[in-house]
Amino acid sequence: MSETLTMDAIQQWLHRFASEITTQADWLTELDSAIGDADHGTNMVRGTGAVVAKLNARATGTLQELLKAVGMTLVSSVGGASGSLYGTFFLEMGRNSPSGVQLNASELEKALRAGVDGVVARGHAAVGDKTMIDALEPAITTLSHSLADGRQLHDSITAAAAAATTGRDSTEPLVARKGRASYLGERSAGHIDPGAASSAILVAALAASVGEGTAG
Amino acid sequence: MIGIVLVSHSEALANAAMDLALQMVHGARPPIRIAAGAAGGFGTDATAIASAIDDLATADGVLVITDLGSAILSSSLALEIRSSTHQVVISDGPFVEATTAAVVGAAAGGSLADIAADASNALSAKKTQDETGQVSSSVEDTGPGSPVVSAEERLINPMGLHTRPASLLVQMAGEFSADIELTNTSSGRGPVNASSVIGLLSLGANKNDRIRIDASGSDAPQAVNAVKELVLEGFGELS
Repeated sequence: MSETLTMDAIQQWLHRFASEITTQADWLTELDSAIGDADHGTNMVRGTGAVVAKLNARATGTLQELLKAVGMTLVSSVGGASGSLYGTFFLEMGRNSPSGVQLNASELEKALRAGVDGVVARGHAAVGDKTMIDALEPAITTLSHSLADGRQLHDSITAAAAAATTGRDSTEPLVARKGRASYLGERSAGHIDPGAASSAILVAALAASVGEGTAG
Repeated sequence: MIGIVLVSHSEALANAAMDLALQMVHGARPPIRIAAGAAGGFGTDATAIASAIDDLATADGVLVITDLGSAILSSSLALEIRSSTHQVVISDGPFVEATTAAVVGAAAGGSLADIAADASNALSAKKTQDETGQVSSSVEDTGPGSPVVSAEERLINPMGLHTRPASLLVQMAGEFSADIELTNTSSGRGPVNASSVIGLLSLGANKNDRIRIDASGSDAPQAVNAVKELVLEGFGELS
């Protein structure tokens, strides 16, 4: 049986991401005030809000067009490193998506992998640097392993979301090696990385949206 | 002339750096665009950087100069999403120093490769001023077969070879086809190419230091004379 993710599910994912970011904005900003410039929540609310506005305004096109539009919107509305990194994630996802209007499990895996690799290449960060990658990399690895083991897409994405949360929490004791927080050195330890926190929200929102838009 | 894009988290910072650098330019100004701030606050915006680069599509290449971390990250994304295809280099030089080197170098008609190298090396002058001795400077081989014309003069202007006289020298050097090199024979620093403001500053030349001028090329005698005049006039800084 092949599971397919429709455009509807992708849009659901983005709407859910935006609303979860809004719900957790204060927490994201609080995390960022400990080791950054205290604006990650505000910036992400503005960016995901702009994405929702874009989704509501545009006519339905292809998946590639949708993801590219999302990426460009995030680049120009989030601001700073987060905008470029989330923007790169969606631009690379779009570039590596099939040309139609839906994704099967392996196509989704490939697109997400390309998105994560894009973030790694752009930010030159690796797991353990206390960044978004600490949530995203274990998520995509878990997704790949789970699908390879023959599990359903929904179960696999759910496992990926759990891995992202574990990865997010793993950033707490770490000393930042990338981004503005790295200027703090040892003082950056003891706080969850805000980028890893918003990345975990991104994967959780996808897990919550996969059940709704899949068609057997 | 090459174009310059200043990428900063702060528009005020970028404007001030640009104005400071433009003080050194006495002729035609190079085209400069500022891509600073994001969403109304501090930050950098790859789409704004991309359109600044596109805006300079008729320049002979563009040097992008960045301040803090994400400025480089946003600039590298801008190279992917821009619509133009002319040559662009993202500088790894320090913001204020690289901006000065690039603006002066561009106004003197330098190539993108030369100016990018100069901007990247822009901390060396500051480091030279901190140290009290050993400075490693690149000695370039002028090559066999090109007769070298030389002269040696003493610096008489009170502040020595600081940024303003250095940029005057760079502009003058740009008017000759000869390859001009300066050496601080009092301290042993150099030789450095007279087309590089950063190179000239790295001589750390103070008042009363002796400067040797070497030039090779078809108009070498005229070039040496012109530089000599400039030194003897104290770069116009004698009251």
